[in-house]
Amino acid sequence: MASLTRFSSKRRIAPYVFVLPFVVLFLAFSVYPLIFTARLSFTNWRGSGAAQWVGWDNYQYLLTSSQFWSSLGNSGVLWLLIIPVQLVIALLAAVLLDNARLRARGFYRIAFIVPFVMPLVAVAQIWVVVFDTKYGAVNAVLNAFGIPDVGWLTTTTWSKPALALLFIWKTTGFIVIILLSGLQSIDASLYEAAELDGAGRLRRLWSVTVPLLRRTIMFAVVLQTLAVFQMFAEPFVVTQGGPYGSTTTAGYYLYNHITRADLGTGAANSFLLVIIVMALSLVFVRMLRPKD
Amino acid sequence: MNIQRSTSRTGLASASLAISLALVLSACGPDVTSPSEQPSTGAPEAGESAAPSTDPNMLQAPTEASPSGEITIWDRSGDLYEVFDGAIAAFNERYPDITVHHEAVDIDAKLQNTLITGADVPDGVFLDDAKVAGFADFLWNTADVLAPYADDIAQQKLDVNSSSGGIYGVPFDSNPGLLWYNATALESAGVDATTIQTYDDLLDAARAYQDAVPGSAPIHLEQSPFLGQLQLEMYASQLGTSIADADGNLRLDSPEYRQILGFLDTVNSEGLGTRAEYLSPSDIPELENGNQVFYPWAIWFSFAPQQLLTETLGDWRAMPLPAWNDGGARSGAMGGSSFVLPRDGANSELAWLFYEFLMFDPAGYAAVWGPNDIYPDGLNTSIPSYGPAADPQDALFAPVDALGGQDLWLVATDAAAEIPGSVPTPTWWAGAVDYLGNDLQRMFDGDLTPDEVISNSTSDIQVNLVDRK
Repeated sequence: MASLTRFSSKRRIAPYVFVLPFVVLFLAFSVYPLIFTARLSFTNWRGSGAAQWVGWDNYQYLLTSSQFWSSLGNSGVLWLLIIPVQLVIALLAAVLLDNARLRARGFYRIAFIVPFVMPLVAVAQIWVVVFDTKYGAVNAVLNAFGIPDVGWLTTTTWSKPALALLFIWKTTGFIVIILLSGLQSIDASLYEAAELDGAGRLRRLWSVTVPLLRRTIMFAVVLQTLAVFQMFAEPFVVTQGGPYGSTTTAGYYLYNHITRADLGTGAANSFLLVIIVMALSLVFVRMLRPKD
Repeated sequence: MNIQRSTSRTGLASASLAISLALVLSACGPDVTSPSEQPSTGAPEAGESAAPSTDPNMLQAPTEASPSGEITIWDRSGDLYEVFDGAIAAFNERYPDITVHHEAVDIDAKLQNTLITGADVPDGVFLDDAKVAGFADFLWNTADVLAPYADDIAQQKLDVNSSSGGIYGVPFDSNPGLLWYNATALESAGVDATTIQTYDDLLDAARAYQDAVPGSAPIHLEQSPFLGQLQLEMYASQLGTSIADADGNLRLDSPEYRQILGFLDTVNSEGLGTRAEYLSPSDIPELENGNQVFYPWAIWFSFAPQQLLTETLGDWRAMPLPAWNDGGARSGAMGGSSFVLPRDGANSELAWLFYEFLMFDPAGYAAVWGPNDIYPDGLNTSIPSYGPAADPQDALFAPVDALGGQDLWLVATDAAAEIPGSVPTPTWWAGAVDYLGNDLQRMFDGDLTPDEVISNSTSDIQVNLVDRK
């Protein structure tokens, strides 16, 4: 009886023992930093000595700061420039790659994924050269068609589209993979049935493929929303947040606080970002969830 | 009922555990003081002098006859890393028992976190002058160990390394601003650059060149907000001023800055300026094709004629900057670096010996600036900030072939001697680029007047940086 009790208690404890390593790591690298940051967000601390309690001062400063809202606006505009375009391109590419009759499918798959695996900093440096106002290849092509030089990286009008193009070029391959895996889970008989009913290609795409891919599309949108609002490396390397802060994204603005050792404001900034991005994600999940 | 009671007990236990955990974890991290208490940083407070006998952060030099130990030195990767690496052998001839672990590190990315966490802190670090004051809380006060040399160190370098009464860096180089000019192109256009004494003379020379070479825009206007602000401070340095005074109070609203911005606005509005980022793909062709022939910049522009400007090799020369007023200073400081010694370093006092050797010992500074494996003719992108090392009559680096054999050492050391004294760089200097650096660019775009640059930047910097220190 005693041995049965011991065995029973071991069985009850065993699952907790198995998850313990994860819990320890989760506490150390997720929960602790979160609590530390929350505490920090109510202080003025520059990294040394005691932190000075300032209450809601950091949040108040950010919420009344034109630069904070400007950085959110920049990320918002980039979202509008990137997500719809990227989804359309990725969806069409995924449909194309899913076509069994497509020749050299392997080549096209590699062509889509290569930008994604290229080092971002190297790509960004290429962007700086290619989009140079006076001597870049892009303007050289435009000049050949009689179009004058465009200040891709030096004007507030074109700096965001140039960055958006970089982001789309770099990450669309990853979205193609996500959508392709979703496509391949759609029952082929549904397409056959639609074809028998007289639905053309576009109709099948709109009425069969897109509805059945809603969950996958939703996942891709949430993922890329997070990526856009965290975007840092692209503006850091290509435009340094300029010109005139026009490409200072939410992530870049947060970075500025940290590099200037304004850690309390940076912590408050990160929490505000978490709330905003979470709210956006919930909106998209609600909008894009399947209607079943 | 038993199941419900069990479930609610489990929920209560989980909630209690979560709250307890949160309280325990929140106790970790820095001490938090109330607004009425001043957080202690260890460094002397503003306005206080650090008395050597009482300042716990004052570095003392080792007293042993043959100090021993290991030191970790951080430098940025690149040519300077190689130069310093090559000098270690000479250091070890003097101090054979000190082992130097020389590491190439992205200092801008790593230093702050390393100092905050206190993990694997190096003993010595190469750091931009503009950043020294910002890290003073973590550094040794080097006033005592520098005392024997202080009278011979360029005053401007001592000033920028000073903070709250202490000196927190070992001055490395002097970066005098010079006027770089394409002598060949100017001579072809009938313009004698050597007659330029003031910025008014420079404007006249640029106009004459533009008349001779229609479509040219002879003077460089910097398009990078950061470098534009750095160049602006070079001009200000000539006039003995800077963005903030010794107490950290803004002084942009001044006749000096109005004069400088007025000059830049004139260059821009008269079409005399080529606007491009320093040595970018847009800048270099304009230097090579004779469109841009005047480049007011620090000595480190010498890298361009030697490495980048292949089509105009031998055409470029350097001269002291024009003066703002007749008889005024013919140079100002643009950038510069020093070595700092973190208090958490295990053997920072030994790292002091390393820097003392490199900067103040003839064998050391000859190893840095003299001929070496990296630069057979010597390192000529800066000069020492230590007077005996920067003797105009005793050049450490050779005349520069790419400058037509010009004795750049003589030009630079003479110019550096004219740089007025300065004040510590405020900790928020880099943050000011978002305001002053950008507003300067807006002025070049024609969106702001010089007065608007001053008023907008003053207001933004005061509210967003100075008041939030």
